[in-house]
Amino acid sequence: QQNTVTGTVVSGSDGLPIPGVNVMVQGTTTGTTTDFDGYYEIDIDPNAALVFSYVGFITQEIPVNNLNQIDVVLEIATSELDEIVLIGYGTQRKALVTGASVQVDGDDLQKRSTTSALQAMQGQTPGVQITSTSGQPGSGLNVNIRGLGSTSGNNPLYVVDGVLTGDISYLNNADIESISILKDAASAAIYGSQASNGVVLVTTRGGRKNTSRITFDSYYGVQNVSNKIDMLNSHEYAIITNEAALNSGRSAIFSPEQIAELGEGVDWIDEMFVDDAVTQNYILGFTGGSETSTFSSSLAYTQEEGIVGGEDFSNYERVNFRFNSEHELYDGFLTFGENFTFAYINSNGVGVGNQFNNTLRGAFGTPPLLPMFDEAGNYYDTSNDDEEWLTGYNNPYASMVYNNQNENNTQKLLGNVYAEMQLLDNLKFRTSLGLDYYASEGHSYLPIYQLSSYAFRDRDRVYQNQSKGYSLLWDNLITYNFDINDDHLFEVMGGTSAYKFQGTYINASNVDLNFNDLEHAWLDNALNTDGSQIEQNGGPNPENMRMSYFGRFNYNYQDKYLLNTTFRADGSSNFAEGNRWGYFPSVSVGWVASAEDFLIDSNVVNYLKLRASWGQVGNQNSSAFQYLAPITFANTNYNFGNEEGVLTPGAYPSRLPNPNLQWETSEEVNFGIDARLFQSTLSVTLDIYEKTSKDWLILAPNSATSGAGAPFINGGDVTNSGVELALSYNNHIGDFNFNVGVNGSYNQNEVGNIPSNDGIIHGETNQLFDNAPEFYRAQSGYPLGYFWGLETAGIFQTEEEVNNYRANGKLIQPAASPGDVIFVDQNGDGLINDSDKTNIGDPNPDLTYGFNVNFEYKGLDFTLLANGVAGNQIVQSYRNQASQFANYTTAVFERWTGPGSTNSTPRVTLDNRNYSRFSDLYVQDGDFLRISNVTLGYDLTNITDAFKVDKLRVYFSALNLYTFTEYNGMDPEVGYGISNGTFNFSSGVDLGYYPRPRTLLVGLNVTF
Amino acid sequence: CTKDFLDAELITEITDENFYKTPKDAEAALVGVYDGMQAVVGVDGLSYPLASMILSDNAYGGTGNADSFTYQAVDEFDVNRSPTDANLYEPQWIAYYRAIFRANTLLIKLDQIDWSEDMARRNQIESETRFIRGYLYFQMVQLWGNIPLLTEPSSDNIPPATPEEVYAVVAEDLLFAAENLPAVAYNTVQAGRITKWAAKSMLARVYLYYTGYYGESDLVGLVSQSDALAHLEDVIANSGHALVPDYANLWPAASLEDFAGENNQEIVFGVKFTFTSDYDGNTDGNHWMVMLGMREFTSYPYANGWGVTVTEDLYDAYDETDTRQNASIIAIEEEEVPFDNVKGQREYTGYYSKKYAPMATEDGSSLAVELGGTNFMIGQFQDYFAIRYADVLLMAAELGSPNAQAYFDEVRQRAYQNDFTPLAITTERLQEERRLEFALEGLRYWDLLRRGVSEAAQEIAVSTTLLNGGVEAQKTISASNIQTTEGLQQIPSNQITLSDGVLVQNPGW
Repeated sequence: QQNTVTGTVVSGSDGLPIPGVNVMVQGTTTGTTTDFDGYYEIDIDPNAALVFSYVGFITQEIPVNNLNQIDVVLEIATSELDEIVLIGYGTQRKALVTGASVQVDGDDLQKRSTTSALQAMQGQTPGVQITSTSGQPGSGLNVNIRGLGSTSGNNPLYVVDGVLTGDISYLNNADIESISILKDAASAAIYGSQASNGVVLVTTRGGRKNTSRITFDSYYGVQNVSNKIDMLNSHEYAIITNEAALNSGRSAIFSPEQIAELGEGVDWIDEMFVDDAVTQNYILGFTGGSETSTFSSSLAYTQEEGIVGGEDFSNYERVNFRFNSEHELYDGFLTFGENFTFAYINSNGVGVGNQFNNTLRGAFGTPPLLPMFDEAGNYYDTSNDDEEWLTGYNNPYASMVYNNQNENNTQKLLGNVYAEMQLLDNLKFRTSLGLDYYASEGHSYLPIYQLSSYAFRDRDRVYQNQSKGYSLLWDNLITYNFDINDDHLFEVMGGTSAYKFQGTYINASNVDLNFNDLEHAWLDNALNTDGSQIEQNGGPNPENMRMSYFGRFNYNYQDKYLLNTTFRADGSSNFAEGNRWGYFPSVSVGWVASAEDFLIDSNVVNYLKLRASWGQVGNQNSSAFQYLAPITFANTNYNFGNEEGVLTPGAYPSRLPNPNLQWETSEEVNFGIDARLFQSTLSVTLDIYEKTSKDWLILAPNSATSGAGAPFINGGDVTNSGVELALSYNNHIGDFNFNVGVNGSYNQNEVGNIPSNDGIIHGETNQLFDNAPEFYRAQSGYPLGYFWGLETAGIFQTEEEVNNYRANGKLIQPAASPGDVIFVDQNGDGLINDSDKTNIGDPNPDLTYGFNVNFEYKGLDFTLLANGVAGNQIVQSYRNQASQFANYTTAVFERWTGPGSTNSTPRVTLDNRNYSRFSDLYVQDGDFLRISNVTLGYDLTNITDAFKVDKLRVYFSALNLYTFTEYNGMDPEVGYGISNGTFNFSSGVDLGYYPRPRTLLVGLNVTF
Repeated sequence: CTKDFLDAELITEITDENFYKTPKDAEAALVGVYDGMQAVVGVDGLSYPLASMILSDNAYGGTGNADSFTYQAVDEFDVNRSPTDANLYEPQWIAYYRAIFRANTLLIKLDQIDWSEDMARRNQIESETRFIRGYLYFQMVQLWGNIPLLTEPSSDNIPPATPEEVYAVVAEDLLFAAENLPAVAYNTVQAGRITKWAAKSMLARVYLYYTGYYGESDLVGLVSQSDALAHLEDVIANSGHALVPDYANLWPAASLEDFAGENNQEIVFGVKFTFTSDYDGNTDGNHWMVMLGMREFTSYPYANGWGVTVTEDLYDAYDETDTRQNASIIAIEEEEVPFDNVKGQREYTGYYSKKYAPMATEDGSSLAVELGGTNFMIGQFQDYFAIRYADVLLMAAELGSPNAQAYFDEVRQRAYQNDFTPLAITTERLQEERRLEFALEGLRYWDLLRRGVSEAAQEIAVSTTLLNGGVEAQKTISASNIQTTEGLQQIPSNQITLSDGVLVQNPGW
């Protein structure tokens, strides 16, 4: 007797139907396969059993037991080892990988509900430290793979569908199939001169044969500042300012009557933030394919408003369109395809730079006594005030309004067209032409205003700019596989790559506009014809060309002994003839110990691989034409004659040449272990590495006496050494599936030598406040960008303590009074000066870690993600210490007020004498643990089929829900550092940092 | 093919490989040298002219009552007044060496230029270049005393030269210009160009300073007293320069529409400025002049500025019949200027500079902005008069010209006009006359120093009461600070560090 059994087979990972699943009657050769919808129908003995199998999934055996319907959920084979991972110019079975890399699945990124993929990867990829440079929508993220290796930028190379690019923020998370990060030099060496900071390989989604699917995903949420800082109100401000005056030998500035009338004043921090800034995302995707063609397309819209100033001043908006397809021709002899993603991005933003270009910073210093408006309802102008606590201050909100009227848009088209020929069974040729095209434009309006005697503009001004450019990449690869006796497997690949970048820019500005708003701020609306007020620049960007030859040789004995070698030769137009070519070799080996007889039957160790690798990678990131000394004509003139404003042009050489400039090189050794234990429920990955980056491309810090800009030179080195560990535990109890992952990486960074007179690359001055001293540097024996300042040893409590503080027969701080800070005289010479300055903090964390908890029960899913850092320090400078009357945070309540009151915060004075030197008073620990994502979702198709869809999941997420930290600023994740474009190694500087918002959102995923 | 593919071409820039070939290139490079001089002499803040005023007994640091004490540290020769100011003069230091680099590069490239036998053109360019190099090294060695000396471009870490070595280069450069520039009347030369007469006059100034400050009998063996005098007599006899009849007409704010112009007959050498400075790299303006304006207060024709104040001592030094008093100084009470920002002003005296004063239009807006300047801070356009013919006369008198009394009288006659009464020339009277004649032009401090550090210290030292924000405050400049520093200025601490101690800080800083 035969029953008809029907059912649907779906995937446990995404709940989607799986077509083509083999459904066999156990012990027979009879069976069927599922159709496009995962549906099957089979006639079978009611007492027999069905076997469901499909490549990559765990085979299931289910007794029929008289049932007429059997729906099956197939789980992906626990052995991810059969997973195919991306490597440079190809793919490889994960089991055979011998370098250090980490993979992130696109579905996981999408679940994070972030605007950018990098943000979604925070804390989930050991060895990759990802830090926001600001909380402003669309702001970049610092991505450091295995520590800072260079003074001139540490961002990795991004490769999207084989096309090299500098940034992936244009991608919508839902468009990403997977990301693979190549961490060690051996994995990255195939990218040679581009790879010294690691490589991030991205593939966008493709279609699947014989399927069709439409997906719609969206979320909508609101963002708010999560931790607002408290400033003094007017009443408190007057009391503290009076105290500072008295401590400085002046009489009180505010009388008791005045203080009584002051009230709260304006909370400037409060004024800068908006409530419930919107973030939203909608994406419609189409994927599918026939027997010979597949496609995947999508259309997406994303928007994020800033919490500072709101949509008008801080906003990011992006439209994406993607089209990927692949076609097999001539029975698979020729495969042809293309991947293209287009992004149109609108953005506008407030200043998030240094103390002079930081919109939020103004709100920290401005006294609460400054009113928002004058009696006529205009923004208050202090230029007519002679109250010393208002003189020179300007309304920070109005300043934001006046100085941040801008609109910018960028278009990016990135993708490739490729063809692959299967010349022989084991010989394949592939050629691809990649394009990375961008165009951007912007304009801004600077109105006439006066807010103080320093903050004013006499004539309104318009700026307009445009730029565009492209890079073309032509790759040719040939791969050949062969074996000897089935045991010795060989794979040989050889290739060439040609790269060319070209671009142009033009920008101009003029004054005296016809209309007084941003909408009309275009050059044509400017009336002025006086040439001295017109600024105009335009030209080509320096061309950059590279020619590369590379190859790879893999050997694999019975999946047990693995050998992998690569070599790349790169020639770059950035260097003078004779120094153009760089050569980058690598070798790595692996031993799959679990395939040996002594482990093959182990119940504990299901898989164990030991890896070792060595490789060299390079960096060519100097400005172009360093081998020449350019002659500058711009801005060089003298007004001979009798008429003002009439200029005779001149010229001068602006930089010294360096024809000997060459590649920067990194060399890295890596040892690793991959293991799966306890029925493969626990996976462990451990890596130990040491990476030395040498012959840095740096602008040699030269004395002013050279009289011209310095060229880039080779010199200096830094060593990063560290350990990375990732643990992941997967299991299920009945229908309750859960996964817990923990990862952490420990890194130490130490500078070797610096090729300058004093062996130091000095940090910028004038950064923490007006005339602030240097406070960070790169120096031999210290971490890159360490904080260089005076150590303190508490507070002088009494005059006697001041008098007893002696060394070398001298009073060390003769000018100090009780309540002043005690500086440590490191060299015991009785003086406090620069030679007492030492390492008082390191902005680079020792430990970067993250964890995730996921569980799933009958359509209900829950995720919790957290990430954190430990062992780093942050420099906080909210107050302009050159100013006597700047406002304070409420931390000033902890100040010294008399003997015994405190031993940590000095007294207040008008001249801020305790803060004019850079000391550890500015330095705080930056450790934090952030609950970055908590999501609860439910797939409604689990309770009803009424919607006629395959999946209908609704979810609620909280991003940046809570941050555990001792740091007293608004946000401990301070990616901002002082950077001038050429020295790019500073971080952890909080000058009034645009904080990451807390976001609450609701989302929907539908699959048809 | 590979080689061609990797050859990038620099499209919009010329390099030193294809520049410095023709006389036209050399002339463009020479303008680059002038531009370098303009940038350093016009640099904002503590430029040579402004610092010289504040360091002397003619002006106080002043500035805003809520400002940092940077200008007090300079005025009082005391870095402890503003301990964070370890790099008081760094922008200046950097700008000097930039200008020197441009001059040095041009000088070593002169040989590779195809002059087609036109050696006069070469000498002209070399002379102007060397004058500027000499003039700038003179300012540097006056300010800092111990400076690295480069006569060709170098990126090496160069130790300071002795003052004698620097003065030798200064003297040789000025002598070359004095000998090789054409002996033609000043007004046949394009305005702003360096003339033979500028070189000769500058040589005499250097002679007087070097021999005075260092107590030497001649200028490093190259120029004797009689040489210096002969150069000046040549200027007096052959240059075509003369005094402007009315002293006030030398100064725009004192003469308004009667202003004699920036290229008048009395200007032997000036550094030219105009209003085309912007924040995109154009530095053509007089960026320090804003410091001398009344503190955030405008009253036609005087515009607002940051309030460096003039000493009462200087105002009182003038006889009331001396026209130079009113031409040189804005006197708030005497002129009935309705100044109402005493609260915002530090070290208020009631006096401001009129010679160099930002100006306003009648409706109270900035004249610089009205003419097209970016704003009142960088838009100021008044030239800096480095050498006036009056100085030529008084230097010649000081160096012992047979016509000393006549030269002395000529200068005084113009000053007192109808109230002129002759005065027999003495060393003291000559020095006092120089103070009155050149007040607030950046000469006084150096005139004091060349009388010896201790005498200068006595003259500059003061202990008085001034108004800070309207409140009486003690003001002290102690003679011992000036003695300790020997009148020399702070070397930028950043540059000392960069040199790894090859540069050494001057005493007292």
